[in-house]
Amino acid sequence: MSAAAGRIARGVLSGYFLLMVVFLYAPVVVLVIFSFNDNTTPTLPLAGFTTHWYHIALGNDLLLAAVKRSAAIAALNGVLATLLAILAAVALTAPRMFARPVVTALVMLPLVVPYVVLGVGMLVLLKTIGLEQSLSAVLFVHVVVSVPYGVLVILPRLQTLDPAIGEAARDLGAGEIAAFVRVTLPLIVPAILSSYLIAFTISFDEYAIASFLVPPGHDTFPIFLYSNARTPALRPQTVAIAGLVIAASLTLVVAAEIGRRAAERRLEGV
Amino acid sequence: MSEAHTAGRRRGILLRRRWRPGRAWLSLPVTLYLLAGLIVPIILIALYSVHLLTNLIFPPAKFDLDTWKSFLPYLHEGTSVYFDRFKTSMAITLIVSTVAVIAAYPLAFYLAFVAHRRRYTLLLVLLAPFFVSYLLRVYAWTVMLSSDGTINSILVELGRAKGHPVEWLFHSKFAIGLVLAYSWIPFVALPIFVVLENLDKRILEAAQDLGANRFTTFMKVTFPLSLPGVIAAFVFVLIPTTGEFVAPSLVGGSNDSMFGNFIQDSFVSTTDWALGAVMAMWLMSIVVLLIVLSSRYLTADLRGPAR
Repeated sequence: MSAAAGRIARGVLSGYFLLMVVFLYAPVVVLVIFSFNDNTTPTLPLAGFTTHWYHIALGNDLLLAAVKRSAAIAALNGVLATLLAILAAVALTAPRMFARPVVTALVMLPLVVPYVVLGVGMLVLLKTIGLEQSLSAVLFVHVVVSVPYGVLVILPRLQTLDPAIGEAARDLGAGEIAAFVRVTLPLIVPAILSSYLIAFTISFDEYAIASFLVPPGHDTFPIFLYSNARTPALRPQTVAIAGLVIAASLTLVVAAEIGRRAAERRLEGV
Repeated sequence: MSEAHTAGRRRGILLRRRWRPGRAWLSLPVTLYLLAGLIVPIILIALYSVHLLTNLIFPPAKFDLDTWKSFLPYLHEGTSVYFDRFKTSMAITLIVSTVAVIAAYPLAFYLAFVAHRRRYTLLLVLLAPFFVSYLLRVYAWTVMLSSDGTINSILVELGRAKGHPVEWLFHSKFAIGLVLAYSWIPFVALPIFVVLENLDKRILEAAQDLGANRFTTFMKVTFPLSLPGVIAAFVFVLIPTTGEFVAPSLVGGSNDSMFGNFIQDSFVSTTDWALGAVMAMWLMSIVVLLIVLSSRYLTADLRGPAR
């Protein structure tokens, strides 16, 4: 009897899991379906297949300019945040460190401060030192919010490395920096890639902070998307843009996962 | 091995006699960066909130708690629209967090105890929608919910809506709650899964050997032991949701602005930043306070199996 009850419980849980997966994917799938639908409203029944909305979306110069801006900010954000995160993570592995709890708390603090406060804070700072809103300001704050994720990815990887590896390199005559660059760094490449991708994604997707700091006429992609989303007349092409972004992000995720697995296979046994 | 290790250590100490900058100094750039990009801005907001900084020509900058007093109803007679909005937003946040945790717990449980070898693949399936831009997921719901949207067209087809779209689906508190819970469910399942997965299965077996049935085992052993994951999940939702202003302005009605919208508005649409600064400081203090209260569980959590 207990075995039967267990089977039923497992069945219910599996059913629930399936249902939730459907719920989680439904809006995204519906969006993609209607991006190819030959109708201006996202209503059933479907009215026929068209790529018209994609042609309009891809011919939109404002969209392309916004994507370029966001891609540039995201790429730079990846580099800066990962560099700072590597330095911070290496520092935090030091055997003795002055004020370690304070530094750790400071590095993790951006995770708990609401984005609206960070955006407002930078706006106030710009005003106080007499600067205008700019894309550099957006980048500056994106680095702030990305660094903790980088440290959370890189630090555990550094901590699992055998300290004897670095010592061996130094015993063989490598200086502190050479030992790090030629021995430690290659071993943490997967973590560095993850950190870069996380930082890139955070920045590319970030609306709340950017909404305070983007200068007029220089929309980043999320800002562009948001203002389009509030204009019902633009819905068909906004849906098409959404379809493109969904395709791009899924490709990126799959590529990242394949790359990560490849890198890990290469490092296996080290 | 261990001797060589100690020898290396000793030599390291000898070398360090001559002073050289240690690794710890590498934390200097990130410290300075976060001071400039995080701490200084927060201090400036605090200064604005007490009128030590101001955008206005008159009255001139001078320490003054007036805006704080008018914001906090406890400090003056009467009510405060803004504080009421804070309470409503907190209520929405708490409901959303609770719903997300309740909806996600069985998912985590399924992955940890039922899915067996497929669990990491299924976890990835669960988390994948999270990789699609947040803004897009909110937007996808506007397509689903709007009066000329997908759900209403299905209801009309089925004859349920009789030509009239169902109004409460869109531009409503329901829509805000639905979209926020939807966005956070995959993310909430993660910490709960981590805790459940790391539970010592022998404890559960012991409970059953001692005569507890599955339900009792869950209520008295599994669930209490998974509380750190539940609390971590709760906090993960709370932090971004308290300051949320994207979902309310895309799927909420004109009367459903959340506290985050109020803060945004007072900086974007007005020149007197004092009130916005007070609200931002208040929001941050509440969030940090909640984190500190729950930090015991947060750190106990992701360190792996409890020993």
